[in-house]
Amino acid sequence: MTDSFTANLPVYVIIAPLFVAIVLPTFARLKRLVQGLVLLVGVLGVAGTGYLAYMVLSKEGFPMIYSMGGWPAPWGIELVVGNLGAFFLLVVSGVSLPVALFSRDNLTVEVGGKERVARFYVFYLLLVGALSGMALTHDLFNVYVLVEVATLSCCALVSSRKHPRAAEAAFNYLILATLGSALVMGGIGFIYMITGHLNMGFASQEINRIWQHNPHVVWLAFSFMLVGFGVKSALFPLHIWLPDAHSTAPSPASAILSGLAVKGYMICLLKVLYNVFGHSLMQEFAVHRIMVLAGTIAILAGSISAMTQDDLKRRLAFSTVAQVGYIILGFGIVNTKGLAGTLFYLASHAVIKSLLFLSAGSIIAVTGKKKVSELAGIGRKMPITMATFTIASLSLIGIPLFSGFIGKWHLLVGSMEAGNFLPTAVIIIGSVLCAAYLLPVIRVAYFESAPQEDWKDPGFSQKLALIVLAAATVILGVVPGPFLELATRAATDLLMR
Amino acid sequence: MKDFILKRVVVIILPFLCVYGFYVILHGHVSPGGSFAGGIILGLSIIAYSTIFGIEKGKAKIPEKVLVWTESYGTLWYGLMGMVGIVKGFPFLANKLAGIDVGVPGALSSGGLISLIGIGVGIRVASTMVTLFFTMMEEEP
Repeated sequence: MTDSFTANLPVYVIIAPLFVAIVLPTFARLKRLVQGLVLLVGVLGVAGTGYLAYMVLSKEGFPMIYSMGGWPAPWGIELVVGNLGAFFLLVVSGVSLPVALFSRDNLTVEVGGKERVARFYVFYLLLVGALSGMALTHDLFNVYVLVEVATLSCCALVSSRKHPRAAEAAFNYLILATLGSALVMGGIGFIYMITGHLNMGFASQEINRIWQHNPHVVWLAFSFMLVGFGVKSALFPLHIWLPDAHSTAPSPASAILSGLAVKGYMICLLKVLYNVFGHSLMQEFAVHRIMVLAGTIAILAGSISAMTQDDLKRRLAFSTVAQVGYIILGFGIVNTKGLAGTLFYLASHAVIKSLLFLSAGSIIAVTGKKKVSELAGIGRKMPITMATFTIASLSLIGIPLFSGFIGKWHLLVGSMEAGNFLPTAVIIIGSVLCAAYLLPVIRVAYFESAPQEDWKDPGFSQKLALIVLAAATVILGVVPGPFLELATRAATDLLMR
Repeated sequence: MKDFILKRVVVIILPFLCVYGFYVILHGHVSPGGSFAGGIILGLSIIAYSTIFGIEKGKAKIPEKVLVWTESYGTLWYGLMGMVGIVKGFPFLANKLAGIDVGVPGALSSGGLISLIGIGVGIRVASTMVTLFFTMMEEEP
């Protein structure tokens, strides 16, 4: 029994949220039951993925390969629980649970009505299921399907607030994301055209054998994938949908969109680049240079745009554009240290950005003020919320003892080892710019006199969610041990092909 | 709509539409079409009925509450069929491997779990089409 349970755990992790999402509409009126089920799925997800990660770290027959329906690899769909999969699964479940906890009390107001709460959770769970699938899948077409599920759920989450601007943002997002999906589909088509395989392992072997005969097709596949996933993960010139979408969505939705959804597409891009094309082919076509350059531009442009925003959530959304730049830049640094640092940074940014969005959301919900300049004295009125916001900001800037530092440090060392000094300089400049757009918020909140208003910290479950996420970023910063180990092993795996 | 001919024709073809929808769903694994196409034909019968006789009568035939249930549990049925493999000690969605009788290729009863899954998908697609139609008609000013 236990063996069968462990053997099927990869499937359970993906289908549990999907099953619950499917049946939620039938008892949408029972709000307590809906929330209880969502939290239960979250807790079980953390337990399951934690167990998988523990098994992967202790190397008991891993990487574990699961063939759907019992059909072996070139014909059937494979799920592979390797180091990368276990790592990203842990990020997904670890961030989605506090977000669900936060949304318990605050959601009814945010989405405008009790009857819309269940609808929000349906798409939330679909998104979590799709992201878990992205972590594990080893099949290119499966990647496309999961990307579509995630994209449509994201659109629905953006539009879940009852406001014309949310509808407009969701529509813009839908159009651009569909364009991205089409490009990804095209890229997969080109790979299938020259290799005849959809399984990543088989396609990789084949493409490395025959790419000299079809260099132009490989080029097309590369560029379609880069632009397609670039639109979806908001790489700089293609980011125009993100600020509107992420700033108009309800706060829990913004947290999960900025924290996790964008990361899911980047994990897909990473898998396609390293598991299908392989790093030698990437270097052959100089794709890693393109990524470093794109990342550099994204960091600078995103940070500078963030500085000009006075709306708190928009500032955070532009900050996401800059951080996406870091991760894309890191994908272009082809060595173990750089990739491990990038993966760690991806995880810590998932935690930090959801924490930032959640605390900003509770500030906005309590005070009704959206502008940074109006937040004078919030730090004294809402001590816990602002303390967690401060911890997250310091972590994002990259102060030692917080998780952002560990990621940035390894990224920095990796880029120096690669002998490329442009990224090294930009990583440091990016940190300074990050301080320039986040520290003013803290200064205004703590060092300006407070108005005579009766503002308080939010309710218990919201505070608990904020504290859990803040504790996570501190713990990851002080004892990164096992998590960094998992990231390093994942990076080694990626570079082996 | 008050057109006599339209009403008569719809009344005549409705049963055939329904039967044909079920036919395509049930033959999904042996002939062209499948549970998705069959589900759409099935949904079309309700759509045709409510276009001609008015949306109120259509909703009386199949209330939206029922549609929510068929949509949810039609999809869940797919998942439960997948779990059969796991319960028998094989991977998710295992069919012949899990000892299901798949019969002679080409015969109607040859899909094993696939044909059962098809029924769930067909019902789900039919109710989704009808829900989409009702939603769009409501948005009309």
